[in-house]
Amino acid sequence: MISRRKFLSMVVGFMGGWISSWSKPALGSLFPHFFFAQLKYRGGEWDPNPLFAEAIVEELELRTSIDARKERRIMQLSDRDLFFCPFLYMAGRYEFEPFTQQEREVLRRFLTYGGFLFAEDTVGAKGFGFDRSFRREMREVLPGYEMKRLSSEHSVYQSFYLIGSFGGRQRVNPYLEGVTIDSWTPVIYSQNDLSGAWSRDRFGKWLHACVPGGEPQRKAAFKMGINIIVYSLTSDYKRDVIHHPFIKRRQNL
Amino acid sequence: MNVNPITIAPVFPVWLIILFFGLALAQTAAQCVKNWAKLGSRRTLVVSLLRCTAIVVLVIFALNPSVVTRNEHRISPAIAIIVDTSESMGQSAAGGKASRLAEAKALLMEGDSPLLASLSEKYEVHVYGLADLLRPLESGDVARLEAAGRKGDVSGALSAISDRNAVAVLLSDGSVKWDESAAPMLPTVTVPFGDPETYQDILIKEISAPVIAFRDREVTIDVTLKSYGYTDLTLPVLLKDSGRLLSAKDIRVQADPGESTVALSFVPSEVGQKNLSISIPQQVGERIDDNNQVSLSIKVVRDKTRILMVSGNPSMNYRFMRTALKSDPSIDLLSFVILRTPSDILNVRSYEQSLIPFPVKTLFLTELTNFDLLIFDNFNYALYLRPEHLESIRAFVEGGGSFAMVGGPNLFDEGRYGLSPIGEILPVQFASGEFYRRDPPVRVRLSPAGARHPILHSGGEYQEGDRDPGLLWQEMSPLDGVNLMEAKKSATVLLETAQGIPWPVLTVSEKGKGRVLALTTDYAWKWYMGMVANGKGNQHYLMLIHRMVRWLTKDPGLELVQMILPETTVSTGRETEVRIRYQAGVPSQTSDAAVSFSVFDPQGVKIDSALKPAAQPGEHIVSFFPQNGGIFRIKVETPVGELEESMVVAGPLAGLDAGPDHDRLQKISTSTGGKYIPREADLAKEIEQFARKAEKRFIEEKRVPIWATAFVMALVLALLSSEWYLRRRWGLI
Repeated sequence: MISRRKFLSMVVGFMGGWISSWSKPALGSLFPHFFFAQLKYRGGEWDPNPLFAEAIVEELELRTSIDARKERRIMQLSDRDLFFCPFLYMAGRYEFEPFTQQEREVLRRFLTYGGFLFAEDTVGAKGFGFDRSFRREMREVLPGYEMKRLSSEHSVYQSFYLIGSFGGRQRVNPYLEGVTIDSWTPVIYSQNDLSGAWSRDRFGKWLHACVPGGEPQRKAAFKMGINIIVYSLTSDYKRDVIHHPFIKRRQNL
Repeated sequence: MNVNPITIAPVFPVWLIILFFGLALAQTAAQCVKNWAKLGSRRTLVVSLLRCTAIVVLVIFALNPSVVTRNEHRISPAIAIIVDTSESMGQSAAGGKASRLAEAKALLMEGDSPLLASLSEKYEVHVYGLADLLRPLESGDVARLEAAGRKGDVSGALSAISDRNAVAVLLSDGSVKWDESAAPMLPTVTVPFGDPETYQDILIKEISAPVIAFRDREVTIDVTLKSYGYTDLTLPVLLKDSGRLLSAKDIRVQADPGESTVALSFVPSEVGQKNLSISIPQQVGERIDDNNQVSLSIKVVRDKTRILMVSGNPSMNYRFMRTALKSDPSIDLLSFVILRTPSDILNVRSYEQSLIPFPVKTLFLTELTNFDLLIFDNFNYALYLRPEHLESIRAFVEGGGSFAMVGGPNLFDEGRYGLSPIGEILPVQFASGEFYRRDPPVRVRLSPAGARHPILHSGGEYQEGDRDPGLLWQEMSPLDGVNLMEAKKSATVLLETAQGIPWPVLTVSEKGKGRVLALTTDYAWKWYMGMVANGKGNQHYLMLIHRMVRWLTKDPGLELVQMILPETTVSTGRETEVRIRYQAGVPSQTSDAAVSFSVFDPQGVKIDSALKPAAQPGEHIVSFFPQNGGIFRIKVETPVGELEESMVVAGPLAGLDAGPDHDRLQKISTSTGGKYIPREADLAKEIEQFARKAEKRFIEEKRVPIWATAFVMALVLALLSSEWYLRRRWGLI
C-alpha cells in the first residue's frame, strides 16, 4: 500500500523530471540538425496549421535517430538563413501573391543547390486557391522541370516506413507529387493536409478529425511525415544496391 | 705514237670568221691585180703572200685551237671493320674455346698475316666497335675490347659510316638488330662467330605486360620463350609475387631454335606496386642461367574508389557528403544510415519499415578489405561494433586502407573511442572532459601545414583558383558544432578553429600503410550552403570532399611531389637518373627545401645516390649506379610529402639472347650486295676482291691553247708590219 506522502512525492518527482526533461537544453545551435522552417509569403493564408510541429517532431524523436528540435522558425525568401534550413515547409489554403523575381531566384538557388521544400495545399482543391498559385510559382522557379506524381518506387515511400496507405486530414490524392532534378526531389507536394493530421492543442488533443479513414489515416499521415523528413536528410540512399533488393522482398511479403 | 687531240674553241662565231677570211682573201686578190702593173710580179707576190699569211694567222687565232691531254687516276677504297662487342660476343666460341670476341680479335690482330695489318697496307681501314652504340676505335683499342652492352643496330651503323667507307666487314655472331629497309647499299662482308650447332640455351625473350593494372581485373602477361639446342621439351613458366606463386603454365619447346608464347594471368586484389618475377627452370647444358628469370613491376590502381560510409543518424552532413561523393563517377559508395537506435520505439511490424539489419560481421570482418575508404559519420560504434570489428578496422588501415572520422555529438562516445583500436589509429585524441561543443558558431582557419597540404592546396583546380586559400576559409560559414580534440604528435592539423583555443577541425595522419582523417564537426555542410547563400557555387565543398577521398586513397594525381622514372630499360652499371617534380603551385621555398632520397637495391640495402637540382625550377635529379639487376626501391621524402616507387633494373645477362644467328649475317650480306665469308676462307683475299670492285677511278683532262699567246699576236703584227713597210718602200702608200 503506498502512502499519500509517498504518492505525492512520486508525482512531484515525476513531474519535476518531466519538466526538467523539457527544460533540459537540447544541444543548442543556430541551426539544429532538424527543425521546421515555415515559409511566410504574401497573400493567402501562409499558416493554416500553426500547431503542427510538436507532434510530428515528438514522433520523429521517438521512432528515429534524428536529432530534431521542437521548433518552428518562420522564414521569408529574403532571409539569408533560409539556406541553412534543412527542411523548408510551405502551406496554405488560398491563392497568394506571385513571388518577386528576386524571391524566385533565391528559391531557385536554394532548391537547385540542395535545399528541400515540402509544400501542402491544406484545402485540397485542385486547380484552385493555393494549388493554383503554388503550381504557378514552381513553373516560374524551376522552368523546365515539371511537377509530377511520385511513383510508388520513389525513395520517399521507402525512406523509413514502407508506405502502403496515404494519410492526412483529408484523402485527396493517393500519392505525393514532386519536382525531381536528376535523382533528387527537392520539392514534394501534398494535398492531403498532413500537417492538419499532425496538429494538436497544448493538452494533446487532435485539432482535426481525419476523414474518411479516422485514426488509421492519422497514423498514416505521421508515417508519411517521417518518411518525408528522413528523405530530406538522406536523399535516395535507399536506392543503394544493398538496400533496394531487401526492400523489394519486404514489399512482396 | 700517242698524239694528243687538238680541239678548237672559236672566239667569234665561225660564220663571221669565214666571212672575214673570204673578204680578206678577195681584198688581197684585188690588191694583187692592182699592184701587178706597178710593182711587177715578184714584189706583188711578196706583198700578197705576206698579207695572206697574216690573214691565215688571224683566222687561226680566231679559231683558238687547243691541245687536250688526259691523265687517269685511281682511288683506293676505305674499308670499315665493325666488331660486334655486345654481351653475346662474350659467350664461349665453338667448342667451348675462348670467347667469340677473343676469336674476332685474334683474327684481326694475330697470325702470320693479321687481317687488320694486311688490309691497312693497301687500304684506308676504319675500325668500329658496335654494341648499344657504334664507336670508332684506334688500332690500339682493338686488343682491349670487352663484350658488354645490348645488341647493336647494324643497319644504323652502316648508315652512319656509308659516306666514309666503300666496304664494310662485320665480325659478329649474328645476335644483332637488322632492319633491311633502313640499311644503305654498303657492300658488307660478314664473318660469323659462335657455333649454332652446339649452342644450348633457353631464355625469356620477351614479356608483354601492362604498366598499370586495375584491381580485381584480370591481368594477362604474355611470355615469349626462345630455345636453342632443345627439342620436345615441356617447361613450367612461373609467375611469382615476391616469392608467392601467382600463376604457372607449361610450355612446349619443339623446334630448334624455336619460339613459344604463353599467357599467364592473375587478378590483383590490392592496389599498389606489384613486384613480379617470371621464371623457367634451368636445363642441363644451358649456356646462360641468368636469362631464365625476368623481373617486372606493375602498378595496380583502382578503377573505382569503393567507399563504405556509416552514418550515425540522418543529417544534413550525411546528405551533403553523400551528394559530393555521388557527384564523382569514379566513386562507388555504399552507405548505411542508422535510422533508428535501439532506444527508439518501432510502432509497426518489421515488414512495414524499410530498415535492414546492419550487417556488421559481413562488413567489418569479411568485406572490409574490398573497400578503399571507411567513413564513420557521427557514428557511435559502441552500440553496434564489437572489439573484433574495431580490431579489423585497425588492421584494414595499417594494411593500406583508409579511414575517415566525421564528427558530431555521437562520434567519440564521450571518449571511449580513445581506448579502442580505432583510438590508436585516429589522428586526434581527447583534450578535456568536454568532447563536443555547440555554440557559439566558430569559423575555421587554415593552418600553415594545411596551406600546402594536397587536400586544401588547390593546385589550380578550383575555378577560383587564384584566390588565397586562407581568405577562402575566412569566408566559409561558421560551424555550429565541433568536437574538442587535440591532434596527436604524429598528426597534421590542416584546419583549426579561428577563435579561442585552436581546436583541430581537419586533421590527417598516416598509420601503417594507410591514411586517416578526422573532420571533427557535423556542420561541414554549412560550408556548402554558406557559399551558395553568398551567391557562389558549391565547388569548394565538393572539391574538399573529393580531395579528401583522393588523398586518403593515395591518388597519385593528388601528390604534390611526383617521381618520374626513366622511360627506357635501365641496365646495371650505368648512371640512372630519376626526376622529382613538384606540382605547380607549391611555394618555391618548399620546392627548394631539402629533399631526402634513398635507393634500396633488390636485397633492401641502401645504395649511394646523388641529388642535384635540375635545370627547371621545382625539379631535382637523383642519380645512382645500380650494380646488380632486380627491382630497386626508390623513396623520396620532401617537405610536402613522400613517395615510394619501384624500378626494374635489368641484369647484365637478363633477357640475353646469345644464340649465334648466322642466317641473319647471310641476310645482311645478301641485302647489301656483300658476301658471307666463313672464317676458314682467305678473308683478306675475299675482302680485297670487294675492295677492288669498290675502287674508284677518274680522268684528269687538260686543255693547252696553241694560239692564244702573245707570240701569235706578235707574228700577226710582224707580218702586217712587214707588208706595210714593203708597200711603203715600194711606193704603194
